[in-house]
Amino acid sequence: MNSFLLQVVTMSAPLLLLAMAGYASERSGVINIGLEGKMLTACFVCAAFAPQFGAIGGVVMAILAGIVISMLHWTLTQVYRIDHIVSGMAINLLASGGTGFLEASGFAKNTLTEAQRLPLWFYYAVALLAPFLLFWAANHTRFGLQHKSVGSDPSKARLLGINPQRIRLLALTLTGVFSGLAGSLLVSETSTFTKDMTAGRGYIALAALILGGWRPIPAALSCLLFGLATAVQIQLSGKPMFGMQIPSEIWKMLPYIVTLLALAGLLGRNRTPAGLGKH
Amino acid sequence: MKAKIPILFAVSIAIIVLSLVLVKANIVQPIATIFTGSLGDARRISGTIKEMTPLLILGSAVYLALKAGLFNIGAEGQYTVGACFGSLSMIAIGGGIGVAVGCFVGIITGALWALPAGLIKAYRNGHEVITTIMLNAIALLMTKALVAGPFKGPDQFTPSTSMMPVQSRLVPLFTIGNLEIPQSFVVGIVIVLLLAYWLKRNVSGFELKATGANPTAAKFAGVNTKQVTVKAMLMSGGLSGLAGALQVAQFEHRFYDGFATGYGFDALGVALLSGSNPAYLILSSFFFGAMNKGGTALVILGVDKGITTVVLSIVIVMFAAIRYRKKEDIRE
Repeated sequence: MNSFLLQVVTMSAPLLLLAMAGYASERSGVINIGLEGKMLTACFVCAAFAPQFGAIGGVVMAILAGIVISMLHWTLTQVYRIDHIVSGMAINLLASGGTGFLEASGFAKNTLTEAQRLPLWFYYAVALLAPFLLFWAANHTRFGLQHKSVGSDPSKARLLGINPQRIRLLALTLTGVFSGLAGSLLVSETSTFTKDMTAGRGYIALAALILGGWRPIPAALSCLLFGLATAVQIQLSGKPMFGMQIPSEIWKMLPYIVTLLALAGLLGRNRTPAGLGKH
Repeated sequence: MKAKIPILFAVSIAIIVLSLVLVKANIVQPIATIFTGSLGDARRISGTIKEMTPLLILGSAVYLALKAGLFNIGAEGQYTVGACFGSLSMIAIGGGIGVAVGCFVGIITGALWALPAGLIKAYRNGHEVITTIMLNAIALLMTKALVAGPFKGPDQFTPSTSMMPVQSRLVPLFTIGNLEIPQSFVVGIVIVLLLAYWLKRNVSGFELKATGANPTAAKFAGVNTKQVTVKAMLMSGGLSGLAGALQVAQFEHRFYDGFATGYGFDALGVALLSGSNPAYLILSSFFFGAMNKGGTALVILGVDKGITTVVLSIVIVMFAAIRYRKKEDIRE
């Protein structure tokens, strides 16, 4: 039972951190298909720098990388006003191609030792606190309220004297921090970088965010639910259920099907921020 | 417009050089390899055409949706589903009729796979990008489960259908020496031309463009924009499914786990690069095809293929920045 719980936490914590990264950007109105690429970059940077700079250095570099690539995203969407979907897809391509190329050229090849990884409980503690902190900040701080209003209607927010671009700059910085943490957690769990190791986690995190109606605590719970589904799938793989063999793919499909149903409005009303993708 | 293409080209070269300097590799040889590997001789040009064919059809599919204001990221999933069910019917029926039925099944299943995204977009205002990403993931997992379980070919060791019988495979339309022109390539060209005609000269094509350009104005002009959205998604999905079925009939001759190798995502780049004129789909899919083919040749030199992906992504972003910035300003 204990090992099962550990599996649930292992599976859901990176998702949760990444979903918080998605929350920071999407609630401010920046559609973030690029989560996958941001996490992958962070994974690569953490694995590449931790052997030289130590555990803390690796995580700091990963967070910086997350911030840099989020700033790129901000420049593309807010300054050049490229479509959010196009820029997000481009970031994913860039990250997948770039890290693959650098890895094949001999970077980030080392397996991280115990001393080169931050202890996992540190990440888990951050993952546990982050949704509550974000929830509190969204409703009780000046930035939180401005953040929400920019995401709901950027032109009305502008009339109130809020600068949407500035708020989104800060929001995307936060996205960078969280995707950096999510990436370094994934590397700490597996202790080595492999090509395209995020394996669609960016999209599942996005799904969790949608299922949670773009609210931090429900999104975190959705991540736990998806983590639970994955752990159950690992436990059951190869074992017959109800007298027949259920392919593991069925379990893997669950998060996506549930998200589709949520988007179809079958699980409560659609809570998409109204200013998503608008300038 | 025309002056920008050399800029994009120069930047692509600059990125490759920079990355190669970074990893301290030889600079001249990899760049030369991309060119010779994709266009060096007739056999390699055939390879580029082979890479280009699915991109041409998928590019038209994504382009059509884009004209209606929809991002069909789901081309990958619709392509997979079309290929899976198309190949199953081709193998079950066999012969020329099998290929025809398989293509039809591919169109239907691809369209059905896009339908939920269209319906959710039109009637629930759920973003089509999110729904199609979910549908992509479901398509990949579902087809894997199908060809690993009930439809696994008895002679196969990996999750895959059995091979199509040799006599029912599509042969190249004609061959000149080593240069092969596949039938599906010609189908792709015809689709592009038909699409260009339909968008320009047909009422429903015009309604689709109007919906994409300004949905509110289109609605006031009497266009049923919800219906157009669903129709555009259906057509786009149908074309993607057809691309999958043709890929099976012409090149792959079976469906297996890992069939879709990112053509659906490249197609978005193809559609974006072709800008306002569907005829440019031919040029941009050629560019992507040549990059894919040239990238494969790089692997022999020990340079990872990822570098071409990086170049393509930067080209897409630069093109989008140049092209779509003005449009945004008008909308505001």
